[in-house]
Amino acid sequence: MSTSVSKAPAAKKPVLSREAMFDVIRGPLITEKATALSERNQVGFKVAIDATKPMIKASVEGLFGVKVTGVNTLIQKGKAKRFKGRPGKRSDLKKAFVTLAEGQLIDFTTRLA
Amino acid sequence: MQVTETLTDGLKRNFTVVIPGSDLSEKRDKRLAELSKTMQMPGFRPGKVPLSMVRKRFGEAVAAEVLEASVNDATDKMMAERSLRPAVSPKVEVVNAGTEADLEFKIEMEVLPDVTLPDLKSLTLTRPIAPVTDAEVDDAIAKFADQRATLVPVEEVRPAVTGDVVTVDFLGKLDGTPFDGGAAQDSDVEIGGSGFIPGFAEQIEGMSVGEEKIINVTFPTEYHAANLAGKDVTFDITVKALKQKTPVVIDDAFAETNGFENLEEFRKFFKDRLEQQRAGASRMKVKRALLDELAKQADFTAPETLVEAEFAEIWRQVEAERAGGRLDAEDAAKDEETLRAEYRAIADRRVRLGLLVAEIGRSTNVQVTEQDLRRAMINEMQQFPGQEKMIIDFYQKNPRAMDRLRGPIFEDKVVDHALELATVTDQEVTTEVLFADDEE
Repeated sequence: MSTSVSKAPAAKKPVLSREAMFDVIRGPLITEKATALSERNQVGFKVAIDATKPMIKASVEGLFGVKVTGVNTLIQKGKAKRFKGRPGKRSDLKKAFVTLAEGQLIDFTTRLA
Repeated sequence: MQVTETLTDGLKRNFTVVIPGSDLSEKRDKRLAELSKTMQMPGFRPGKVPLSMVRKRFGEAVAAEVLEASVNDATDKMMAERSLRPAVSPKVEVVNAGTEADLEFKIEMEVLPDVTLPDLKSLTLTRPIAPVTDAEVDDAIAKFADQRATLVPVEEVRPAVTGDVVTVDFLGKLDGTPFDGGAAQDSDVEIGGSGFIPGFAEQIEGMSVGEEKIINVTFPTEYHAANLAGKDVTFDITVKALKQKTPVVIDDAFAETNGFENLEEFRKFFKDRLEQQRAGASRMKVKRALLDELAKQADFTAPETLVEAEFAEIWRQVEAERAGGRLDAEDAAKDEETLRAEYRAIADRRVRLGLLVAEIGRSTNVQVTEQDLRRAMINEMQQFPGQEKMIIDFYQKNPRAMDRLRGPIFEDKVVDHALELATVTDQEVTTEVLFADDEE
């Protein structure tokens, strides 16, 4: 009834278009650490720097058709570099380690439909 | 490894080999593990790339590598076990090469026949030799001197005689029109000499300086220019000068001008040269006789593949000759079928002889040394003065060309060896017989 504009927190389940999901998930994270974590049913992704955990969860579930039970993220700061004496900075990178539900897995080698 | 012989027919052998899949995957894993030690990949420390990743990246390449290695190994091993000597490298056909399944492949090969070594000691050969006589040396020197005879212009006006050299202008006409290459100015014609078409020089004989004459000449039928062969033509001749050959006096002075101490030395040089030529011819003859003898004893069957290859090579030459119209009149008369049969017989003989020579060489441990090759190379270089560097480079860059040098040396050494053992009797023959070219 009431059309009161609530200052409710962001929707628990963000609705993302497929295109938006591809914007969130930038690529797989294939490193020693990521492969080691696969034993604990976790996979790594490079994600957009402004992606939130709920967005990442929705994207992974939407794109890979798996159930996600947890998301941990971190931002790896870009290194300060110099080019011809001028200071510069490499771009920051957000990584996400996504925990999958028991028995589920993602095969990075097959193409996404 | 399981080997079954599927065919034994004459010299042909076919086998089917089965290698268990577990052997292969073991080898593959070992290879992958080796690779992972050195592999570098972003996101991993060197050598820490998980095996599954390595497999994903190199799996196929390693599988192919292992497959090839296994097939080669198995083939070598099988041949060593059965002590087979292949004539050419065996044809391998992989029947089943699934990654998990057993590897199964077929080998088709031809083995070298058992060559029974002929008893070289029982061979009797005659070596034709023709000693150099003084007359022959004189002849050779005379010929040499004749080439160096000086031409002296004849002052008096007289008709040209045999031995004179006439300087003429001539203009050849075919049916009244000049033809290409039929005209020349100040051309020297030796009366009684060769080099011109028959009848040309002869008709100039008797002309004197300033005289003009039209002569009729018929080109020989086998003349190289097709449009002139067999044709009657006329030549307008103008005699411009008459020269006479002054014979050189063969004495110490003549020898000296040619860089020798005296006539004695000069004669010796010619004699040596003639003797060398004759020694070479003698050797050729006796070698031919030896090979003929050996061919008679080489009564084994030659491997078909080798004969086929040799025949293809000969046939290619025949075809080329036919295309160029240079085929022997004798061969051209035969029809395709007979010609093929004949050349196949030659190919068969060559292969058998080749195998026999190789076998003799092998049994007597004939080796072609580095030095022999170098000597052959230097010989080659002397034939192309000024290009020595190129020739050295060529041989260094082409090991196969080196092999081509090796063949004849090997053959020569085997022949030397055989001749040492065989009973060789010298037979004196005339020079003509020595240099006569006998049919192959």
